Amino acid sequence: MTVSREQVTEALREVFDPELGLSVVDLGLIYGIHVDAGRVRVEMTLTTQGCPLHDSMTGWVRQAVATVPGVADVEVVLTFEPPWTPERMGQGARP
Amino acid sequence: MASPPAARSGPSPLVPLGYLTCAAVAFVAAAMGIGWLAPDLAGHYYHPRLLALTHTVTLGWITLAIMGASYQLVPIVLGRPVWSERLARWQLGILTVAVVGMVAHFYLGTWPGLAAAAGLLAVGIGLHLLNVGLGLRGFTQWTFTARMVMLGYGGLALTTLFGLTLATNRVRPFLPGELFPTLHAHVHLALLGWMTPMILGVAARVYPMFLLAPVPGRWASRLQLWGLGLGLPAVVLGLVGVPGLLVPGALAAATAAMGHAWWVLEVARGRKRPGLDWGLRFSLTATVFLLPAVVLGVALAADLLSGPRVALAYAVVALGGWVSLTIVGMMLKIVPFLVWYRAFGPRAGRERVPTLADLSWPRLEGTAYVFLTAGVALLAVALLVGDVAAIRAAAAVLTLGALAFALVIVRILGHLSPRFQKTPAALVA
Repeated sequence: MTVSREQVTEALREVFDPELGLSVVDLGLIYGIHVDAGRVRVEMTLTTQGCPLHDSMTGWVRQAVATVPGVADVEVVLTFEPPWTPERMGQGARP
Repeated sequence: MASPPAARSGPSPLVPLGYLTCAAVAFVAAAMGIGWLAPDLAGHYYHPRLLALTHTVTLGWITLAIMGASYQLVPIVLGRPVWSERLARWQLGILTVAVVGMVAHFYLGTWPGLAAAAGLLAVGIGLHLLNVGLGLRGFTQWTFTARMVMLGYGGLALTTLFGLTLATNRVRPFLPGELFPTLHAHVHLALLGWMTPMILGVAARVYPMFLLAPVPGRWASRLQLWGLGLGLPAVVLGLVGVPGLLVPGALAAATAAMGHAWWVLEVARGRKRPGLDWGLRFSLTATVFLLPAVVLGVALAADLLSGPRVALAYAVVALGGWVSLTIVGMMLKIVPFLVWYRAFGPRAGRERVPTLADLSWPRLEGTAYVFLTAGVALLAVALLVGDVAAIRAAAAVLTLGALAFALVIVRILGHLSPRFQKTPAALVA
C-alpha cells in the first residue's frame, strides 16, 4: 500500500497543542515529511525549546503517523533550526 | 541541523498540583479574612491579626503557589530535573504545618509558638532550596530567566532568615534600632527579593510562549535585571541603616518594574495567538497594577506620602494586584496543563482528546476575573479612605472572585477522576 504525504499530513492534523487548541500542522511545527514506501520521516519543531511538551509531542506525532494505513516505520526528528516563529502559523506542512 | 536539547524530566504532575491546591485554599481563606478583619484593617497594619492575614497571603498563597509552579516550570525553563520528588512532597507537608502554625500563633499573639512555627517554616524552605540547588549543580546557562530565578531563591533565603530573626526577637529582644524599618525591610526582601524576580524570570519564558509573540529587545530585560539587582539591596539597606540609599533604591526597583511593564506590553502587542483566554487576561491585567504600586512605593520611600493607610493600599496593589493576579492567571494555565497531561497525555496521538480549555469553566473564569480585579482595586481605595463598610464591601467582592477561582480549580482537578477520563468525547463535543 502506497503512503502519501497528504495522508500523513491529515493524520498530523489530529495532533493538537493542548494549550493552544491548534494542530501541529496549523501551528507550522512540521518542517518536512519524507515518505519512502512504508517509511515516514517527519521533521518538526516546537514553539520554544522550553516547551513543556518537549518529551511528549514527538511521541504523539509518531503515534498519529503510525495509524496511517501502510506505514511500517515512523521517524520523528526534532529540530530547532530554524527556530519557530509565530509567522509560521498557518503555513501548514511544507514539502 | 541543531541537535535537540536533552530530554527534560519534570516531576509527577501531582507534586506541583499539591502545592497549587494548598495555595488556592489559602487564597480563599485570605479573601474571607479581609472581611472578617475589616475593623482592624481600618487601623494600623501592625496588629497580630493583620500579621496573620498578611502571612496567609505571602506564605500560604504566594509562596506555596510559586514553589508549586517552580517544581513544574524550573525543569522546563532551566532544563534541569527536580532532585527529589519525595523531598518535594515532604517539604509541602512541613510547609503546610508551619504556615498554619505561624498564622494561628500570629492571630492569637503567642510569640514562642510563632517562633517555633517560623523555625519549622525555615526548615521547609531550606529543603526547597536544597532540592532546587542539588538539581541545578553544574548549571551554566545563565539566561535572564536563570539569573532571576537564582536571585529569587537568594531573596527567599534572606527573607526567611530575616523573618526568623524577627520572630526570635519577639521572644528574646536583641535587635537594635526601631521595629518598623526592620519590618519594612523584611516585607521588601519578600516582595523585591523573592516574588518579583520569580515572576519576571518566569514571565520572560512563558509569556511569549503562551502569547505566540516574538521576544522584545534585550534592553528591557537588562533594565529589569539591573534595576532589581541594584534596587533590592539599596532599599533593604536604606530601610535598616543607610537612609540615603532608600530613594535611589526605590527608583531603581521602579525602573525594573516599569521595564517589565513595557516588556509585557510589547509581547502583548506582538502576539499572534488568536484570542486571549482568561488566564492570560489575568496576567496581563495584573501588570497594570504595577503602576499604582510603583507610584505609592516611591512616594512612601521619598516621604511624599506616609501613614498606615497608604502603606496598606501599597501592599494591596503590589501583593493583591500585581503578584496575586499574575499567579491566578498562571495557575489557570498551569493547573489545566498538569491535569490534562496526567489524564489525557497518554491518549494524545491515538485518539481525539480535549484541549486545556475543555477542562475548565471559562464563564466562571470570567466571573473570577471581574470580581478579583474589581475587588483588589476597590480594596485599595477602601483602605486609603479607611472606611470599615467600604473595606467589607470590597472584601465581599474579592471573596466572590476567590470562590469563583477556587470552583474553577476544583472543576479542573475533577478531571483527574477516572470517571471524567473515560469520556473525552463528551468533553470535546
